[in-house]
Amino acid sequence: MSTTTAPRFVRADGPDKVTGSGRYTADLTLTGALVAKFKYAEVSHARITKLDVSAARAIPGVFAVLTQDDVPDVRFGPFVQDRTLFARDVVRFEGEILAAVAAVDVPTAQRALNAIVVEYAPLPVVNDIEAALAADAPLVHEGWSAYGAAEPIVRERNDASMASIAKGDVDQGMAEADVVVHSRYVADGCHAAPIEPRAVVAQWEGNKVTIWTSTQVPFDARAGVCETLELPANRVRIIVPHLGGGFGGKCGFHYEAHVAALARATKRPVRLVFSRREEFVAPDRRREGIVFDLETGVRRDGTITARKVWLAIDNGAYTADAGFFSQLAAMHALGPYQVPNAFAEAHLVYTNHQPSGSVRAPTAPQTCWALESHTDEVAKAIGMDPVEFRLKNAVATGKEGPSGQVYDEIGLVDCIRAAAAGAGYGQALPDDEAIGVAIGWWPSFSVPSGAYVKIDGDGSGQIITGAQECGTGAVMTLRQLVADELGMQAEDFELVYQDTSVAPYDMGATGSQTLFNNGRAAVAAAGQIAEQLKQLAAEQLEANPADIVLADGAASVAGTPSRSVPIAELAGIAAGGELLIGHGSGAPPAPPAVVGATCVGDVGMTAWVAPQFSCHAVRVKLDRDTGVARVLHVSAAHDSGTIINPVGATGQVEGAVLMGIGQALTEGTRYDDEAKQRNAALLEYKLQTCADAPPIDIHFVEIDTPDAGPRGAKGLAEAPNVATAAAISNAIAAVVGRPVRQLPMTAERVWATINGIAEGSAK
Amino acid sequence: MISYTLTVNGVDYPVTADQGRNLLSVLRTEVGLTGTKEGCDDCECGACMVLLDGQPVNSCSYLAVQAQGRAVTTVEGLQQGDEMHPLQRNILEEGGVQCGFCTPGMLLSACALLERNPDPTEEEVRIGLS
Repeated sequence: MSTTTAPRFVRADGPDKVTGSGRYTADLTLTGALVAKFKYAEVSHARITKLDVSAARAIPGVFAVLTQDDVPDVRFGPFVQDRTLFARDVVRFEGEILAAVAAVDVPTAQRALNAIVVEYAPLPVVNDIEAALAADAPLVHEGWSAYGAAEPIVRERNDASMASIAKGDVDQGMAEADVVVHSRYVADGCHAAPIEPRAVVAQWEGNKVTIWTSTQVPFDARAGVCETLELPANRVRIIVPHLGGGFGGKCGFHYEAHVAALARATKRPVRLVFSRREEFVAPDRRREGIVFDLETGVRRDGTITARKVWLAIDNGAYTADAGFFSQLAAMHALGPYQVPNAFAEAHLVYTNHQPSGSVRAPTAPQTCWALESHTDEVAKAIGMDPVEFRLKNAVATGKEGPSGQVYDEIGLVDCIRAAAAGAGYGQALPDDEAIGVAIGWWPSFSVPSGAYVKIDGDGSGQIITGAQECGTGAVMTLRQLVADELGMQAEDFELVYQDTSVAPYDMGATGSQTLFNNGRAAVAAAGQIAEQLKQLAAEQLEANPADIVLADGAASVAGTPSRSVPIAELAGIAAGGELLIGHGSGAPPAPPAVVGATCVGDVGMTAWVAPQFSCHAVRVKLDRDTGVARVLHVSAAHDSGTIINPVGATGQVEGAVLMGIGQALTEGTRYDDEAKQRNAALLEYKLQTCADAPPIDIHFVEIDTPDAGPRGAKGLAEAPNVATAAAISNAIAAVVGRPVRQLPMTAERVWATINGIAEGSAK
Repeated sequence: MISYTLTVNGVDYPVTADQGRNLLSVLRTEVGLTGTKEGCDDCECGACMVLLDGQPVNSCSYLAVQAQGRAVTTVEGLQQGDEMHPLQRNILEEGGVQCGFCTPGMLLSACALLERNPDPTEEEVRIGLS
């Protein structure tokens, strides 16, 4: 393989983005476009007794008002089919859509919303995760048992997905312990909060619809439109212009079908742009609140003998993509530790809150926060240093994890050492400062993915990929991989992406999977062209194709660099005959075998291919009078396999750490007694900014991982979001003398912990 | 509706719009420059930052009519011909662009900072960009 990679990576989409010429969905206009607006429930749980849109339809300038009566009667959902496009009979959270309006302008659309008459009979509001599990709790979905669901999902009343993991004999293990530590933690929900509010533009031509949308998962969005509007995939084209961030919030299928239905009804293009408040309240993607009950048995020498965990996740009103969260959270609650006897039980519980869904490493940061705070309690109970405790018990190469998976070469122990060293762990600090340490893990997702590569007659190339770029740089990195495969420069290739009608399938910017899977696909596609080029060069140079080397923009005979022909010249020859076209998918690595663990609700989350590991060590300064914690320094060490794009990788860790600080200290949704969000605005929901950002030292433990992505790369976009909040918690606990048991660890909660005042309920 | 002239990136644009319209929406729809982004429409996020006579202003919370007679600079006005502004070039080369949606606001905030303080400390940069 040649080393033609430029020393400094510059994004292919960068010039568009710094000059303002790049178009995002809300920047698009189409002739005759109408404005879409949604009428929301605004109550959390009620039966609809009257929904009258006739007055709204009669307003001049209103082209359509649609309700569930106007679309196919389809109940959808990837795990549990519990949702319809518009509310039918019952509303279950404040952001549920009752009706959609298309009108000539915003004021007219607003007048139409105001003219919609809705009357309700109130239903009991389910506002508390644990109370929702009670045998006599009001049901969020009266008809839950009749819903369709994916085969492995185990359900019962408000429990939308129950999962367990069992290994060994946990009671025996607890009996063998010298000390058993029991902890309860509660994490509030929070938001993905991408800076770009979502937007959708739809236009029909004949019986085909084109939808421009700010989604992270164009093929998933297409599938949702096809399912709910009953259309074949080849008549629905999803195009994503530049995407202004997502963090998982723009995964899944959202409003593409609503806008397409409006455009079909009005025979006009229709454009929806969300307000910031809508972005907070409506999508079925926010980070889930979780209640944890954790118990670990340990010997005086630091050996873990058993771990038993129970947790309940706030599903919100609909299941969205959260069906796999129970088992995933169970894995995170057991943690990347050698636990011989383990039992985990996890529930995904319906409430009348906004639905939960995949936000950057779903379930992991909160669960890591709870488990790692608990782990420091365990170490303290036996008088062992928390770093030493982790070094002793963390999963390592050849060792068995809590679900029975035995790990190939992994770098967690190196991560712990590197993060601790980077933080100066062990140094003397003022008594209002401490360094907290936490470890985390995250799976890589092995899924199908495709790409084409072509090189035109002038020698310039295009990578046509189903992959979606949401800012991480993963799609941008494909240029580098393809160019290296062909002995060309990254700049020789342009990307054609984010269009379901021109590229093969990819799962999208989700699960940190782009480089892992689409990278393999792009390399395979490039490999086909490499074979074509070698064949052509062999004919030109009168050599054996097996002896042709592609490097520095030319094909030459190995060992005889003077016998050489430029690739651009070969492309010109190919343009007159067999065109240079490659396609690739690459076989996804098979999941590793699991030994010894038995599971209920098994959705395949207990054995992870190419697992990613991390350790964060965070230095915190605490103001004991106010409870304000300030992060002074973060040392983050990651095993994400081989790092292919260091600039992009560094950006991912820095951003994720900052997001983790927000989740730790300031970001949390507060609900009122009616289960409505109290802080659905950026002043009330405080994100971290440049002013808050501490210095972040990053260390990559690079392992050329087998059964991984190209060159042994694993995923990276989510992993660095996992351990930050946990490390901050342990630093705060070290200063205070005990942990703060509710996330986010706001100044008020820290102050209450310092002063021994019990925290409130866990809504 | 009232008619007035806005000077944006050195070009005069005739505008006819409701007088309650904010500068952000007039720039994006009437003037036709979409580089300036709307992140919150509530003066909370800074994605819509533009310069008014060199001073940074959240254009979502500023009436367009008030910008009459003043020089409005948007991200589209930073380039000199085909040549990128050094800030544009450097933010790209240093990996400072990811999704890019906040980048226009960041660039204009940075321009305004360097205009009033050509040699800022790290702390001043942090405050200037947040």
